[in-house]
Amino acid sequence: MDIALRGIALFVFVYLLTRVIGRRELSSLQPFDLILLIVLGDLIQQGLTQDDYSVTGAFIAVATIASLQVLTSWTAFKFPRLRRVLDGHPIVLVEDGRVIERNLRRERLTIDDLAEQARENELASLADVQWAIFEPSGAISFIPKK
Amino acid sequence: MAGVPDTIDLERDRDLKGRERDIWVRRGLMSIVAAIPVIALFNVFGQRAETRTLVGPAASLKISAPARLRGGLLYQARFHITARQDIKDAYLVLGPGWAEGMQMNTIEPSPVSEASNNGRLSFELGHIGAGHSYILFMQFQVNPTNVAFGRKQTVWLNDGKTRLLTFSRNLTVYP
Repeated sequence: MDIALRGIALFVFVYLLTRVIGRRELSSLQPFDLILLIVLGDLIQQGLTQDDYSVTGAFIAVATIASLQVLTSWTAFKFPRLRRVLDGHPIVLVEDGRVIERNLRRERLTIDDLAEQARENELASLADVQWAIFEPSGAISFIPKK
Repeated sequence: MAGVPDTIDLERDRDLKGRERDIWVRRGLMSIVAAIPVIALFNVFGQRAETRTLVGPAASLKISAPARLRGGLLYQARFHITARQDIKDAYLVLGPGWAEGMQMNTIEPSPVSEASNNGRLSFELGHIGAGHSYILFMQFQVNPTNVAFGRKQTVWLNDGKTRLLTFSRNLTVYP
């Protein structure tokens, strides 16, 4: 029972964390972000199963997390109003080559971050971008000008 | 100019209409998250030892042990008895709250005897001469499933059947 309860508590906390830390941290996998993710996973594991080395314990933990994940996505699918809270909405960062700085600031993104992402999408200049949209997943979608 | 991408609502996603408060909700929640380690620095979640000293006419007892713990932690309880008068047969008696859901790894030095005293843990320490000290070290580990809020931990120092000192405190074990 304890593992299931710990699983629920940690899932809610990590879900909350991913929603409040901002998409910037989710999207950019810099070397340090990668280290942070690994460390986070290790810390959560210790709190979740503690000294339980059993296969049963692992089943309970994995089943709890997986069920909560499905429940969350089902809730977001079934209740559109909750989708805003659970997943968030996209944010337009560039429209017709014009950077919307207010929206960049809101997500703690710089022009350099945006230009870097654009280059990774084979766009040399932000002026060539028709739309840049910061997706709820943390990825930036670029739609080039035609 | 190309059309607006599907499902993008310019008022909502570009002008952020109706989303002005979102950022403050996020900042508020982030502040709560950031407050956790700050609160932890003030020993709210344990595991720093707290020291309390009791002084009686026959002896003084200094107890040093954390009053706030978390599942799985290793910790030490230190009982420092200083005899102000000759204690012929000292007994340190611990209430069951000291042992409930705990692993008792080591007791040093080993008591002369251990027994149950009406459900309490009774350690016979033997003779402590006036002006002399006796320090009992106990090493514990909290069982991972042990959770406690306000569990009473009582300590009695006896000379034979005569009670010399009584100490009580509340233990918190966070899950």
